[in-house]
Amino acid sequence: MIPYVNEYDTPDCKTLAETAKKSIRTPESLGLDRCIQCGACTASCPAARFTDYSPRQIVKKVLENDRSVLESEMIWSCFYCYSCNVRCPRNNSPVTIVQVLRQMAINEGIGVEKLAYFLEIGEYLAENGASKVPVAGIKNMERDLGERWIGIKRNLEVIRSELGLSSRDVRDTHGEVQAILESTGYFDREKWIKEKIQEKKINGFLNTNYYSDNEKKNGDFRFESDRKYTGQEALIV
Amino acid sequence: MKAIESIPDRKLLLFKSCMVGQEYPGVETATRYVFDRLGVDYCINDEQSCCTGIGHYTDIFEGLTTTAIAARNFAVARRCGYPNITCLCSTCYAINKEACELLNNNAEVRDKVNSIFKEKGFDDLIYEKGDMDPRTNFYHAVEIILSKVGKIQEEKKFDFSGVKTAAHHACHYYKVKYLDVVGSPENPQLIDTIAAACGASPLRWYEDRTLTCGMGFSQLHLNKNTSLQVTKTKLDSLQRAGVELMIHMCPNCHIQYDRYQPVIEKEFGVKYDMVHMNIAQFVALSMGADPYKVCGFQTHSVPLEGFLEKTGVI
Repeated sequence: MIPYVNEYDTPDCKTLAETAKKSIRTPESLGLDRCIQCGACTASCPAARFTDYSPRQIVKKVLENDRSVLESEMIWSCFYCYSCNVRCPRNNSPVTIVQVLRQMAINEGIGVEKLAYFLEIGEYLAENGASKVPVAGIKNMERDLGERWIGIKRNLEVIRSELGLSSRDVRDTHGEVQAILESTGYFDREKWIKEKIQEKKINGFLNTNYYSDNEKKNGDFRFESDRKYTGQEALIV
Repeated sequence: MKAIESIPDRKLLLFKSCMVGQEYPGVETATRYVFDRLGVDYCINDEQSCCTGIGHYTDIFEGLTTTAIAARNFAVARRCGYPNITCLCSTCYAINKEACELLNNNAEVRDKVNSIFKEKGFDDLIYEKGDMDPRTNFYHAVEIILSKVGKIQEEKKFDFSGVKTAAHHACHYYKVKYLDVVGSPENPQLIDTIAAACGASPLRWYEDRTLTCGMGFSQLHLNKNTSLQVTKTKLDSLQRAGVELMIHMCPNCHIQYDRYQPVIEKEFGVKYDMVHMNIAQFVALSMGADPYKVCGFQTHSVPLEGFLEKTGVI
């Protein structure tokens, strides 16, 4: 179990629904109990459109207190775009519930390998007061975006200076950000996650191929699929 | 709903954005240029840190860390006498607004954050309930520009009449705190209204107008194919509608559309005719700002030269 208990994001409660409602990730007025399974969330979800992700199904699992949802690949497909948040007629917020589920999964060491890519953001923030795209992301961007972007990045300091900005975007936080990250337990948690990733790697469970062609996300439970219906072309106004 | 009349033009802390700084620094300089020309009273403070948004939404930061960092930035804003936090990035806007709400309404979290500050001797960072108001202390730069739309119309040097534009309003501006948006969160028109004041012909509705850009924080990196499919859907719609210029208000969307448009063209075998810019860059251009020395178009992936020549800017 994670040494640093993430008590505000994932308060210890009897049911998943209680944890979701009490978590600081979800709105205070979360209408989880008022969900009528209408599917407005899934209908407006970009992930649901291109994968078998279904926020409606996830909310159902939470209401049924089915903890297998934490092990589902599906919870890692959300874009955090909040379309379900704005569209829900009952003030429910699947997007923030999924954030709680991911935090609960992380606490149990599930899906931690997906964080490997982003962990350096914390250290960089503590040191520089700003965030940046992680090195692995930069490598992928270099490959995808090619010479033009590499050239832009190479000239960035000159371009910033010509625009009248400091050559690098470094903030002066007097070490306060570093101290805050130490005190909230961020670094302890990060260390634990890193160890857990290492452990998984040794056990050979880690899939390092981030660009696998197989991006199908039907999770671990059999979600119904209505993908056979091709629909009509929408009218362009 | 947020009333345009309530948007301040004084004591604004222009909240630095990490992604603007690293990818499109011209968005910051164009915003400053526009604010200066419109007589907006603002300041930039290097003590302000990243909002943690990138880490928060890639699940590596938990809520307590995010809230403590936000409380520190609120203290920076209050200390310099510019408490109206005005963001260039929609995620900074949502993170700060939500953190403020939490600090005001959740005594347990507020006490925990303050106990950390006390323990470290950061007494000047302590947050008391009501120090900031989530509704009246947090803005997106586009709201400030919108509130001055009349003056923009008067000041415009270039007329972009006939230029077919389409807006992409950022999800974290209008879908997170959706009750506090200028206009309807189902069909926000902030960018369109400003573009029209610059003489452009905005497309008020197009298929998939409210679809997200597709970046999805970890999605672009972990599920690139799905991420780009979402982006492609919107670009396809704009291509069918004959849009020349897509205007954004968030650096994350900007990266997704501008940086990845050529990638989508290559990987999906399609061709797009539209170019991209931030609304502040568009307003600055219409007021006569230099496309490179102020708007920083040299950092864009989709070249703007064709558009600038056609509209007579260069």
